[in-house]
Amino acid sequence: MTDLAALSARALAQAIRDKKVSSLEATQATVARLRDCHELTNCLIALEEEEALAAARAADAAVAKGSAKGPLAGVPLAHKDMFDRKGKIASWGARIRAGAPAAEDAAAIARFKSAGALQVATLHLAEFAYGPTGHNYVLGHARNPWDPTRITGGSSAGTAAAVAYGAIPAGLGSDTGGSLRLPAACCGVVSIKPTWGRISRAGAMPLAPALDTVGMIARHVEDLALTLSVLAGPDPRDPAASTLPVPDYLARLSDPVRGLRVGLDEAVLTEASQPVQKMVETVLGVLAKLGLERASCRFPDWQTLDHLVQLVQLPDASAAHTAYLRARPGDYSPQVRARVEVGHFVPAVDHLTALRARGTYVKRTLDETFKGIDVAILPILADPLPTIAELDVAASPNLQAAMGRTVKYTRPINYLGLPTLALPIPRNGGLPNGIQLVGRPFAEAQLLAIGQAYQREVPPEIARPLR
Amino acid sequence: MSSPSTPAGPAGEDTAAAYLDIPPERRAAARAHVALLSRTADRVARELPISADVDDFRRVLREEARP
Repeated sequence: MTDLAALSARALAQAIRDKKVSSLEATQATVARLRDCHELTNCLIALEEEEALAAARAADAAVAKGSAKGPLAGVPLAHKDMFDRKGKIASWGARIRAGAPAAEDAAAIARFKSAGALQVATLHLAEFAYGPTGHNYVLGHARNPWDPTRITGGSSAGTAAAVAYGAIPAGLGSDTGGSLRLPAACCGVVSIKPTWGRISRAGAMPLAPALDTVGMIARHVEDLALTLSVLAGPDPRDPAASTLPVPDYLARLSDPVRGLRVGLDEAVLTEASQPVQKMVETVLGVLAKLGLERASCRFPDWQTLDHLVQLVQLPDASAAHTAYLRARPGDYSPQVRARVEVGHFVPAVDHLTALRARGTYVKRTLDETFKGIDVAILPILADPLPTIAELDVAASPNLQAAMGRTVKYTRPINYLGLPTLALPIPRNGGLPNGIQLVGRPFAEAQLLAIGQAYQREVPPEIARPLR
Repeated sequence: MSSPSTPAGPAGEDTAAAYLDIPPERRAAARAHVALLSRTADRVARELPISADVDDFRRVLREEARP
């Protein structure tokens, strides 16, 4: 009997097309696993069982008639609750949204519908997606399926937990400072944060629009390729959405990776804890087995990048929130309120300096850091997987330092806008963690080919609590 | 540039974002954090050509695309 939980979305779609499994069976199994996963991890915001089962029956009828359309026909998915769906309210993980149903679907939701996918549930996220750990003082904190005392990472916490658990094969997330990569690393799954502008953000909750990037979390790299093919492309509703052609990412998964050069910035790596430095070395060992060559590289000063991205993000987020914050400050948790307040103190000239310098820093990174390498490798977390209690800082004076340490290796990449693939480390029975491979602009296909080869050595896993 | 003038009320108090009712300790913490970032902005601004433009970012991504 097929273990539906272990299938990729691509394999499940094929099984549905071949009538080896029905969409109804797959959806019923997904509902049951989401309930179990929720009990363990607090991954759900809303389970839409009846609606999903009705859609599954319709998908099966279409398969029977030979009229099913799209590469994900009948496949049940679930997504971070920050994407508009016509007539529904996306909670954004916050109190403030009650009474605001969407007039139309977000671009990503519409594209998944066109591809035939079903949506079974909405999933946990940090309040307003403004938190990198999975803590949410409105919904309750998300818990890691490998060890429920530990963080899931955030902000796309529920998506990563549900994917890792095998409740869904893949789901939507977003990344403004690490919100796809951190939960992927914490939960031991993969994610693609595409180049800024590769996927339309229309109808996605804005956090800091200059940095916001829609992307995917999955267990199988092939699902990142499949879903990116569905999601990428121009969109008149998002002027930042790129008009560059969208490659056939699935076809490119078999691109040769032997001989590609992976750059490591030793100076940046030494700021991580010793165990994390060892993890990066372990992954480099796996990549060497695949024929990739190790090289040195040097990023622009990391602290400068980290400050510049904050000078973009803080006022961008404050501007997005200022109306809500003035009208309903009591509806914010103290932590998010404190973070959103900070941007009001950033001088406009400094914000614009960071925005004006962005092109210069991207060009410098490509000309210098990427000279002689194809991709760069970085940690995602600076430390081994923290507990929920360790990072439960609420709005304490320790807030900026704790958040800064958590996103140390992720948010500078958002300033550069470069595509990033998160891969899990080989666990060897231990807790999950991850690394990120950073590519040149719009080089997602190359990253995914490396990831596909990597999963031959480090196969996807289903998460269950370790003893 | 990065020496933000602090809007001051008649008594010299910090009135930036006064509509947000931010308690003094959080206001001070925010100011301290932003001051750190502003020092970086000051240094970066001195190195930037006057022609640097916010649209350079998207242009560079497009020109350097490797699909």
